[in-house]
Amino acid sequence: MNPVELFEISIEAIRTNKLRSVLTALGVIIGVASIILLISISAGLQGFISSQFEKLGANSLFIIPGKLEGSFGGPPRTVNKLTFNLVERLEREKSSAIVDVSPFIEIAVTARYKNESKVTSLDGVKESYFVYSGIKAEKGRVFREGENEVARRVAVVGTTLARDLYKADNPIDKTISISNKSFVVIGVLEPQGNVGGVDIDNLVLIPLNSARKLTGTDQVNSVLVRTTSTDTIPQAKEQVDKILRRTLGEDDYTILSQEQLLSSILQILGVLTAALGGIAAISLVVGGIGISNIMLVSVTERTREIGLRKAVGATNKAILSQFLTESVILSLGGGIVGVFVGYVGSLALSNFLETTVPVWAVLLGLGFSTLVGVVFGTFPAIRASRLEPIEALRHE
Amino acid sequence: MKTLLKAENLIKTYGEGKSKTTALDNVSLNVAKGEFLAIIGASGSGKSTLMNILGCLDKPTSGKYFFEDRLVLGLSADSLAKIRNQKIGFIFQSFNLLARTTALKNVELPLLYGNVSGKDMRTKAESLLAKVGLASKLNSRPSQLSGGEQQRVAIARALVNDPSVIFADEPTGNLDSKTSFEIMKLFTRLNSEGRTVVMITHEMDVARFASRIIRIHDGKIIEDKKNKSVRSFNEKRKS
Repeated sequence: MNPVELFEISIEAIRTNKLRSVLTALGVIIGVASIILLISISAGLQGFISSQFEKLGANSLFIIPGKLEGSFGGPPRTVNKLTFNLVERLEREKSSAIVDVSPFIEIAVTARYKNESKVTSLDGVKESYFVYSGIKAEKGRVFREGENEVARRVAVVGTTLARDLYKADNPIDKTISISNKSFVVIGVLEPQGNVGGVDIDNLVLIPLNSARKLTGTDQVNSVLVRTTSTDTIPQAKEQVDKILRRTLGEDDYTILSQEQLLSSILQILGVLTAALGGIAAISLVVGGIGISNIMLVSVTERTREIGLRKAVGATNKAILSQFLTESVILSLGGGIVGVFVGYVGSLALSNFLETTVPVWAVLLGLGFSTLVGVVFGTFPAIRASRLEPIEALRHE
Repeated sequence: MKTLLKAENLIKTYGEGKSKTTALDNVSLNVAKGEFLAIIGASGSGKSTLMNILGCLDKPTSGKYFFEDRLVLGLSADSLAKIRNQKIGFIFQSFNLLARTTALKNVELPLLYGNVSGKDMRTKAESLLAKVGLASKLNSRPSQLSGGEQQRVAIARALVNDPSVIFADEPTGNLDSKTSFEIMKLFTRLNSEGRTVVMITHEMDVARFASRIIRIHDGKIIEDKKNKSVRSFNEKRKS
């Protein structure tokens, strides 16, 4: 029997029991739709995270105090031994692979203007922070390296903070009181949103040296090292490690590269997706059991038909192909509808969060549903093919 | 005349030990090409078992059976399927048409399992439906046809592969006497065209259309004779 005839016969049999076929395929539809939906959410999230990291700059190293165990061991809980001294040494001894060394001081503060006050984060940074992150002032300007060197009491604020503290007023040249010290606002940043878990729109940025004076400590919270390109990251990392190791122990610091961090996050996301996908796949298996069940019923119902087909010359193989084709059509049909439903669902969800349906997810859904049809259709089909023609013809 | 089917000492038993029953007890017979043979017997006499074996649907417990000089016993299931597909046409008491498809598709069914192209299938099926007088009902489903028409579709199906022999198992069992007569007329015509027909029945009335009648009882052939007074259609018309 040729494939076209096989297909026609199967479609005919499926059409004879429309409702039953649709209900049977429903299990596969739900399974494939949920797999597509989950993958689309995960892929959207991965894209989102990757783009966030790109904002931070891919060609950079991040030095943080303490030893970070594994990929994500939570924040390290050791004494911070990263000091200005070390940063200066890094700057002095840096190779051509390193473009810039930017330490950060990060503290929680209460910012005040007249009667308004707000608890927020303060970052002490160098001018290079603005240069490399591409963050610009929407109003006024950002501070210059000269202002950092002399530790001027100037501040640049995020848009949200500016609105909350200054309401309708123009914050430029107004004072902002931080830990009872007055700073002059010289700029308001462009809206940035959340970058790498930091809401930049809520930050106060002051020159690094001003922050050092404000806190009165010699410690920095982290150091951002810019390299010439992503290719020089390993080289730069090795060098930084060598310099730090001269005075610090192995457990006193961790050098993270953006890539490393990104790959760790994406890896976790991947595992999470696989786990959720596995749960969705269970519904696909349940759908397969439904198909198996209905195919067995169908074989029993059509025993006489099988007997007749064998009497007129159908081989066991022909009967096997017929029933297997039927179950694969049911399952793959369900898979196609499921992909469609999943796609529509992900479009609907894209109003709330980023989703993308990758081509491989569609192929995976269709492939899996075909597999389910074959796996769960085989037993009923074998059963049908092994029926004895006379017994089958006698069946009432 | 050339021997088409040759059975030697066929024995068929079912079950084991105390529940063992013998359906065929040492049956031997030859069927020549072009014969119209009726096998008559009460229900349980073994006539259906005999037909199943002759039709390559079943194998005897012992004994030899030759289909066109080929020993059937050693053949694989696939070879038997091929013989049934190309050499044999079956007609059943309950027609056994596929309810969900048309008369035409039903007639095409055996061709699906042979090497026949779609276009040839349709041409053959159409001409055979025309031959049995159903040219106008090609696209009717079995439920839209009368019993006689359904059996004629089944006959067209049995003829579609141009088989060496037609086996008919109580072909008139589900039909009224007038329709039965029409169907028997068709068998007689097919036989007169040279087609070998083996028919099973329990009605002497029907068997009398055949040129040879075998009577079977408790798995044994108790009578095998030429039918000297083959029923003619004129006789039926008179009655």
